[in-house]
Amino acid sequence: MANIIEVKHLSYKYDENQRPALKDVSFDVHAGEWLAIVGHNGSGKSTLAKSLDGLLPFTEGTVTVDGIQLTPETVWDVRSKIGMIFQNPDNQFVGATVEDDVAFGLENRQIPRADMLPRVQAAMEEVGMSEFAQREPSSLSGGQKQRVALAGIVAIAPDILILDEATSMLDPQGRSDMLKLVRQLRSSQQLTVISITHDIDEAAGADRILVIDDGQLIEEAQPATIFARGERLVDMGLDLPFTAKLKIALQKRGVTVPTAYQTTAEMEEWLWQSLSNT
Amino acid sequence: MAISFEHVTYTYQAGTPLAQTAVQDVSFTVPDHGYLAIIGHTGSGKSTLIQQINALFKPTSGEIHVDDFTVTPTTTNTDLKPLRQHVGMVFQFPESQLFEETVRKDIAFGPQNFGMSEDDANALADEMLTRVGLDKSYAERSPFELSGGQMRRVAIAGVLAMQPQVLVLDEPTAGLDPQGRQAMMQLFERLHREQGLTIVLVTHQMEDVAEYAEQVAVMRDGKLVKFGQPQDVFADPQWLRENQLDVPRAAQFAQELGKRGVQWNKLPLTADQLADQLVARWPGEGADHV
Repeated sequence: MANIIEVKHLSYKYDENQRPALKDVSFDVHAGEWLAIVGHNGSGKSTLAKSLDGLLPFTEGTVTVDGIQLTPETVWDVRSKIGMIFQNPDNQFVGATVEDDVAFGLENRQIPRADMLPRVQAAMEEVGMSEFAQREPSSLSGGQKQRVALAGIVAIAPDILILDEATSMLDPQGRSDMLKLVRQLRSSQQLTVISITHDIDEAAGADRILVIDDGQLIEEAQPATIFARGERLVDMGLDLPFTAKLKIALQKRGVTVPTAYQTTAEMEEWLWQSLSNT
Repeated sequence: MAISFEHVTYTYQAGTPLAQTAVQDVSFTVPDHGYLAIIGHTGSGKSTLIQQINALFKPTSGEIHVDDFTVTPTTTNTDLKPLRQHVGMVFQFPESQLFEETVRKDIAFGPQNFGMSEDDANALADEMLTRVGLDKSYAERSPFELSGGQMRRVAIAGVLAMQPQVLVLDEPTAGLDPQGRQAMMQLFERLHREQGLTIVLVTHQMEDVAEYAEQVAVMRDGKLVKFGQPQDVFADPQWLRENQLDVPRAAQFAQELGKRGVQWNKLPLTADQLADQLVARWPGEGADHV
């Protein structure tokens, strides 16, 4: 698979006297994949996401997006390929109505009105928010607000979607709706998704997980490999999957448990077999 | 008992054409030093309900008792000051309410407002800072240069400095990472156990309800539709799903095993409870032989 993003030896310091927020980070993102970036609060994952979009002027290293190396001259070309959603739904509204807000990105790109109207309409439909077109954003729930933010991104049809803890302030229903929608958009719009998250379910849905700690990339693997780390997951800023919690609880009670990560269904099967084995 | 609601109804803009009833005929009691979780879909009336515990909203009809205090529709605001000190409220994202130059001043603000001398309030502030798990070196720092989780602790210390006997928490862990979430929930558990605080927790995290709550109230469309111990409330997964509520993971898992014929004495709600019952059923006299 081709790489849509290549990051090489990236370092960043917020302040000359402080410790670097990113230290020599290198990785690739494959076109069309869902990549999760995890790490505890303050590990540098949000700094990394902002660097990819040219929101932070990194001090060393290179970022190449779809063949374009990110520089002050190319930053607008790079940004046209990336859509970003942040944590707090209230911080990313500019329009007075849902419709205006979805149109904002297109207006910025000076898309003619005749093209803009159907694209806004289609984007709102795609995220299931058409009936809210005339509503004030403040009257929406958190989950609905994030869906509007997604519609704004769908309207400009970028290649890459970056979710920076975009579900962490939503209730469980809002969170699972949002993830379902992103999954659906990913296949209908051929998006590459990078999600920065603490949510174990969000990370479980990814093709690959990068673990960031203290500004450094410390691990890169598939979810099953990462989830087999047991209690060390908590240091990575993730919660334990339920099966890992149950294994730890069983181990404490003297039961020998399989070391590999098990999905809920696999663990249920294993337990059933063990219990029936009289 | 610590808290009792008797037929409490709350209507926004009562007596106008815009009147909207957010809480309808709700009655329940929480015993002394209890731990109540309130769950329900967004917009079900949870926030309106809890804001009546310290009479930010007075009931439109009905009565509320909190320890020795009584709030009725006709209670006057001058009667409420001691109640407001008795019930500490931690709103969502409480860190947005920080405003002072230093952490110590911010925590000491409340007690001074209630008439405590500056020296006493500062001493109390330092004590509360330790209680929320931050050391004294933070006292002189600006609250605005702290991390999100630290800011939230400072805001909670400010509420604790009022020395409340009842602590009302509205989604206190939203937006924190799992480590921060766990530390925060353990802080409340400690306050509950060691200081005897009565806790009222509004949450969407069913795992926290399973782990910490002694009673659960389920709200829907302004009504209290279920009230009881966590085991009883979580026993009916289909009903919960119809109400767009989750079942704790351990209970879901136990119910799946139940479909294969495993019988549970009492529905396990946490990984530990589930493991206890599994080990008891483990073939060959207990786990030692596995």
